[in-house]
Amino acid sequence: MSADQISIIIVEDEPEFRRRFAQIIDSEPTMRLAGVAANKREAQALIDREEFDVMLIDLGLPDGTGIDLIRNVSQRKPDVDIMVVTVFGDEQHVVSSIEAGATGYILKDSTPADVISCIRLLRAGGSPVSPVVARSVLRAIRSRMGGVATSSNTVPPRSANAENNPLSARETEILQLLAKGMSFNEIGEILGISPHTVTAHIKKIYRKLAVHSRGEAVYEASQMGLLKT
Amino acid sequence: MPYRAVRRQPQISPLKPLRLLAAAAALLFLSTSAAGAIALHRLEWTFAAPDPQAVADNPDGSPGAPPSTFDLPLHWSTLEGSPLHRVALRLHFGVAAVPDQPWAVLLSHFSEGGRFSVNGKFIGAISAESNERHVAWHRPQLLTLDPALMVEGDNQILIETTYGPGLHELAGVEVGPLGELWNSYARAYFCDIVWTWTGATIATLAVLVFGALWLQRREPVPLFLAVASLCWLGYCAAWLTEVMPVGLRMGVELVALAGLAAFLAALSITLMRMSGLSRRREEWLIGLYASLGPAMALGTGLRAEPYLLLSWQPGLYLILAAATGVGLYRRTRGLGAPHPLALAGAAALLGGALLDMGGAVGLNAFGGAPFLNYMAPLMLVALAAPLIDGLIRTMHETEAARVELETRVREREQLLKRNFERLRESERVKVESQERQRIMQDMHDGLGSQLMSALMLVERGAVSNDQFAQILRESIDDMRLAIDALTAEDADLTASLGNLRFRMEPRLRAAGMELTWDARRLPEEIGLHPDVVLPILRIVQEALTNALKHSGARAVRVVLLVEGVGDARMLDIRIADNGAGISEERVGGRGLLNMRNRAQKIGAQLKVETAANVGTTVHLRFRIGPAVPNTRSQQTVLNTQAVIERARQE
Repeated sequence: MSADQISIIIVEDEPEFRRRFAQIIDSEPTMRLAGVAANKREAQALIDREEFDVMLIDLGLPDGTGIDLIRNVSQRKPDVDIMVVTVFGDEQHVVSSIEAGATGYILKDSTPADVISCIRLLRAGGSPVSPVVARSVLRAIRSRMGGVATSSNTVPPRSANAENNPLSARETEILQLLAKGMSFNEIGEILGISPHTVTAHIKKIYRKLAVHSRGEAVYEASQMGLLKT
Repeated sequence: MPYRAVRRQPQISPLKPLRLLAAAAALLFLSTSAAGAIALHRLEWTFAAPDPQAVADNPDGSPGAPPSTFDLPLHWSTLEGSPLHRVALRLHFGVAAVPDQPWAVLLSHFSEGGRFSVNGKFIGAISAESNERHVAWHRPQLLTLDPALMVEGDNQILIETTYGPGLHELAGVEVGPLGELWNSYARAYFCDIVWTWTGATIATLAVLVFGALWLQRREPVPLFLAVASLCWLGYCAAWLTEVMPVGLRMGVELVALAGLAAFLAALSITLMRMSGLSRRREEWLIGLYASLGPAMALGTGLRAEPYLLLSWQPGLYLILAAATGVGLYRRTRGLGAPHPLALAGAAALLGGALLDMGGAVGLNAFGGAPFLNYMAPLMLVALAAPLIDGLIRTMHETEAARVELETRVREREQLLKRNFERLRESERVKVESQERQRIMQDMHDGLGSQLMSALMLVERGAVSNDQFAQILRESIDDMRLAIDALTAEDADLTASLGNLRFRMEPRLRAAGMELTWDARRLPEEIGLHPDVVLPILRIVQEALTNALKHSGARAVRVVLLVEGVGDARMLDIRIADNGAGISEERVGGRGLLNMRNRAQKIGAQLKVETAANVGTTVHLRFRIGPAVPNTRSQQTVLNTQAVIERARQE
């Protein structure tokens, strides 16, 4: 095992997809498969046992939702990148994963190249994002800060909650451009920064969203006995 | 009784007792004779030691003149300005044996005081008229009589008294055992004094009650009744003032006269008003007539008073009788009329007045009992009762009406709420069913038909693995489009289009096509209904898929923009490739037909320009209208609250 290899665990209940992801990672020399789990129980054991850099996780597990695992790992192993595997990349799943601490997501039918590049992007400090998710993150941040309805037409002026808004002006701008469907390159050109910086901003935004939902998370975690105080 | 004496001397009205009525009244009111008591009916009248002036004026009244004999009850009057007269009144009674228990003398309605002796022995004195003092006793007087002073056979009671101008009476004298006479005395005291006090108390209360009623309602009837009660109060006060300085006599008698007159007049007017008759002229006439008596008494220095009592005062009773008669008549006719209790009270009052009048002219002998005094408080109560009853009923009705109104408002409120809930429910059901229909339609048109045709192809064995994967991928793409368009509550076309690009770009790039996506002139958000968003997404995806599959182009350029404002706001999308163009046979193909159908369904314009080896441009224009905040449901809630509020206020 080489030191600069990225070690990965996979939590996925469907054998076909588990096999496919395992195969993609096995065939990539810079990455190493540290373990697979088919349910929450196995996954918890794996997490406790193994050291790893990236966790690929499906939310719908037979013995519960993967959100708890995401929260657990993001608390206990902040260096680990968590990547949610989803069928549709829809708002609800992705945003709640990000709030739990995930920093990336990938569609189940992504090409092997996509999977690899996504993991690389994550390890390089960036986060992938689709326009719909960018929009949802914007909304989540705004409703959280302003406490106002999520409706797009009642978005409060940014200045109104400036002190509460965890996002910098630059981050908000990036999210807005992303929501319009612009690529990282285009955004980088517009803002005069590198595409890499754009993805790094996104990861920061994800982290902020997770931190801001942590109040509830800490409470829930302590309720579940996951946190040692 | 000599006629001459009436004119010149103290006016003496002889009485002719009506025995039957007297017996009835005696039973009812004043027991004139207890078993062992002796009622004295005859007195001897002797003027004693007249003052010099009186002697000069009246030679007949000189001492030593033979005594006159009168029957009891006795009423007499003296002209105004007359000096004090001193008289000795002698009454005789016989006893078979000297009793061994204390006896007493009971004087009924003796207006004067004096010195009392039996068989020449003094037994007591009562304040009598003097030059400084006027007395008008209305109470019975009881003097104890020591049996030691009595003798067997004839005994004589001597009353030495003085009297001045005005009306005087001595209704009856009884002697008998103290125990029996005490009962008679107590009864008479109650009727004449206590009951009058009671009347005054009732009148005071009535003034307050009617006054309050009048203040509250500003109706004339309570006002008239308050005035009547006040007048009766004045009358009672005058009646109960039995001993007074001579200077006050005129005032007190005027108060009594005017009080009674105003009381009767106010009652008459009240009865008329209660009958629904509001005749100003008649009312003024009644008032004028009522003030006639006091005015004349005042004008003549009370000289006219004795005549007024027999001429003017009966007129007042006639007026009251007329008013009562009118009320009775209207009641029998079923017209607006006073309460039966009020009519009964008026009748009782008139009866009392009639008895008083009868007593005054000597038609009956009820021992001078003031029947008017007895009846007036009853009359006031009889008048107050229906008014208070009406007031209480009105209050009950008001309360009932208020409760009913409140209940109705509450019911209406409930109804409104229910209706609103029903409306919202039915709206929700409608929206849901529309949603379901839309999704069904979508499944049918999109995913369903794609999977179906894929099945046909696979069954025919006409597809390779790659083609099969391609078909499935398209199906999944289609489903993703639907999810992009459906998941968000307010479908945002900008983000959904961005998502489409995000998904398609890697695929196009993998096929060696360069995608240029220009969304700079799109607003941050375009809130549109999923019904509209989905077809637009499908048209763009179809155009991109066509370019990918058929054109062989090296580059695709997508330009999205929104232009114009308000109703004229247009969405403009161009998808242009530099490929081979669409061949003749494919122009009428399914892909293009689908795009046109979808555009037509949402009322968008779709233009497809194609030229061989130049490329194809798909141009979609759609009017999206002004950016209106989506607050429909909030407005509905507000409206309902306003409606409820309005109903409450009404």
